[in-house]
Amino acid sequence: MPRGDLLTALLLSCLLISGCQEQETEAIRMGLANAPLNLDPRFATDATSERLNRLLYQRLVEFDPNSMPRPGIASWEAITPIHYRFTLNNHAGIFGHGEKLNARDVVTTYRQVLEPALASPKQASLELIASMEEVDEQRIDFHLKRADPLFPAYLTLDILPAELIEQDHDFAREPVGSGAFDLIAWPQAGELHLQRRSDGQVFHLVTVNNPTVRVLKLLRNEIDLLQNDLSPELIGYLRSQPVLSVEQQPGSNYTYIGFNLQDRLTGELGIRQAIAHAIDRQAIIHWVMQGAARQAESLFPPEHWAADQLTAYEYNPEKARELLAGLGYSNSNPLRLTYKTSSDPFRIRLATVIQSQLKAVGIEVDLRSYDWGTFFGDIKQGNFQLYSLSWVGIRTPDIYRDIFASDSLPPSGANRGRYASKTVDQLLNRAERADNLSVQADLYHQVAAELHRDLPYIPLWYEDQLSAQGSRINGYKLRSDGNYDGLAQVKLKRALDGHHVQSATAN
Amino acid sequence: MGRFLLSRVVTALGSMLGVACLVFLLIHLVPGDPVDVMLGESARPADRQALRTSLGLDQPIDEQLVNYFSGLAHFDLGHSLHSKRPVSELLAERIPATLELAIAALFVAVVIAVPLGILAAVERGKSWDWGAMGFSMLGVSIPNFWLGPMLILCFSLWLGLTPVSGRGGLSNLILPAVTLGTGFAAILARMVRSSLLEVLGEDFVRTARAKGVAELQVIWRHAMRNAWLPVVTLLGLQLGALLGGAVVTEVVFDWPGIGSLMIESIQKRDYPVVQGCVLFISLMYVLVNTLTDLLYGLIDPRIRLDNAK
Repeated sequence: MPRGDLLTALLLSCLLISGCQEQETEAIRMGLANAPLNLDPRFATDATSERLNRLLYQRLVEFDPNSMPRPGIASWEAITPIHYRFTLNNHAGIFGHGEKLNARDVVTTYRQVLEPALASPKQASLELIASMEEVDEQRIDFHLKRADPLFPAYLTLDILPAELIEQDHDFAREPVGSGAFDLIAWPQAGELHLQRRSDGQVFHLVTVNNPTVRVLKLLRNEIDLLQNDLSPELIGYLRSQPVLSVEQQPGSNYTYIGFNLQDRLTGELGIRQAIAHAIDRQAIIHWVMQGAARQAESLFPPEHWAADQLTAYEYNPEKARELLAGLGYSNSNPLRLTYKTSSDPFRIRLATVIQSQLKAVGIEVDLRSYDWGTFFGDIKQGNFQLYSLSWVGIRTPDIYRDIFASDSLPPSGANRGRYASKTVDQLLNRAERADNLSVQADLYHQVAAELHRDLPYIPLWYEDQLSAQGSRINGYKLRSDGNYDGLAQVKLKRALDGHHVQSATAN
Repeated sequence: MGRFLLSRVVTALGSMLGVACLVFLLIHLVPGDPVDVMLGESARPADRQALRTSLGLDQPIDEQLVNYFSGLAHFDLGHSLHSKRPVSELLAERIPATLELAIAALFVAVVIAVPLGILAAVERGKSWDWGAMGFSMLGVSIPNFWLGPMLILCFSLWLGLTPVSGRGGLSNLILPAVTLGTGFAAILARMVRSSLLEVLGEDFVRTARAKGVAELQVIWRHAMRNAWLPVVTLLGLQLGALLGGAVVTEVVFDWPGIGSLMIESIQKRDYPVVQGCVLFISLMYVLVNTLTDLLYGLIDPRIRLDNAK
């Protein structure tokens, strides 16, 4: 055969193969923005691993829509303020290797994480525990170092089988849990196959880093579902596609601008107030984020049990100019600040909009974006004037201590702006010693009010959660913290003849 | 030949040791701490210290360097700080994908560039030449992060011929290989053209034509054989670059290769994985360049003769 013909035949066969490829499979396919790093819950810290681990394992405690702790696989009673008894209920499942989850598994998992030699990143959240023991197969007693009415909210660790912990099993690659799903295959980097226990439905979780490609895969019917990590343009584009169903729900991830309080300029309250009045958050939410966020006034969204009623710093450029003029700044003598952000394109765009809004009141902002490691390193070292970041997955108001107590400066805490207020420190100490949640909530409201006045952060917004489903599936429900629990309910649509519904975009 | 190979192996080992040492020091100089990335800010100083100790990051840098090289001497590249898996295992998972894409892209580049370059040289100054060089200019100018999505839009979404992304069968390979291969084809086509133009002006080509040898034979058997040398050098360099991971193309097409592994690891400050990736890339460059040197002898017998002398 002449070489030219051979080449043509080769190219044609490639096209033929691609044309005949199987478009419909029994598995439900979800596109992930990032691959999970570690499926061992003792070590997992990235969001994707945490969300997948929720599917593979079970926990003692879950949260209700108001972020109040509720029984997961165990209910609890406080025998004394420092002695809690947890009793496993009938939700406690069977591990993948056939053993039923019992009190020994719970105690062994918690003891393991508290073991200093293990160096688990989950240790810090459990430092309140003095000791624990199995009362019997179903009951576990926790003894605390001090009273804390929020204690049950800290018991969110995924439970591992004691027997396999003792055998030093590699949970990172071969997770064995008692959750609603089992890992059945990990065929290549970035692709996992899970099976739902209730009905055997298989799920392929495929990592697709590029958001545009993720959307194109959904349109091409190569994936059935995607969630979050999309730019507003892509969200708008998805909404315009009749074959897709797009769901949006208020989220709880809190985005803010942080100040360095030790800086000569941003340490000045008047300057922080001027910036707060100069930023038009509603315009950014409407035009840049296409409505996919709610304006924030404090760390906790309105539905949270510890949420606060605070008056917003309204958008008032005139007032901002007045405040700046009072401090001696004018068009001929503008205030110059540096604003640091990550290299994420959407974050850079938001920062550019804020830069432009601040310029309108006479503040010259030098915008600098860095890769995550460098950016975060600078923020921790206090090497900044302004920066923006988000807090993700905050459940309990004890986070205030970590972020704003004067003894929580990095590396001992997350008080990145070096905020120091005796009043806030005292309120936090009192809240920690309070013996019931309503007293604690009241004290945390006072903390929030102080912070609102002092402005170490300018609250920006709570970003919405968003999912898009292809035409083959239905029933996926979004959660406010962006977890993947909705996979427990999602179903493949069945046509009357028993075959799966074909996508309008399939070949 | 034996002596030549030995000298290349010694040089290669020296280069790789230098690269390993440089990368080790540079990655530790870059701002950002892997413990921060892993634990977040809320971890207690004691937990931080425990993790630092368990990862060996609390040791002085020179001690860490010695440990790293002692591991290398035993073919142990260490473990990922994040996933705790051996680096060699992570690399082994990605190498087949990288090889597959590199070879396919090189195939695309050669298939496009050689005929185009020859055509442009033979038809110098005519419309074919302008067309071929115009394509070449476009190919060099269009970035992969634009070309990739455009090809997806056209061939996957509108025509429905290929999958959008991911690694699977042959159909998954077409678009990433074309995206990656087009840029290389453009450079290669220009090289083929200029190299062939140079040879076409030589006396032996004129003699062959005067003897009445068919034009196709003059070009392919006489001229091209002499024009291959710079082309093969460029191909070697390109293959080295391709094996080093085509980061942008891998990201656009979710191709699980070495390039994307390295970028992910740099972002997470996963030092052992970054070092493993760079070491692999330098090994590939050294291997491909050695192979290219060996190929010279096959293409041009005068080189063998010179070595024999």
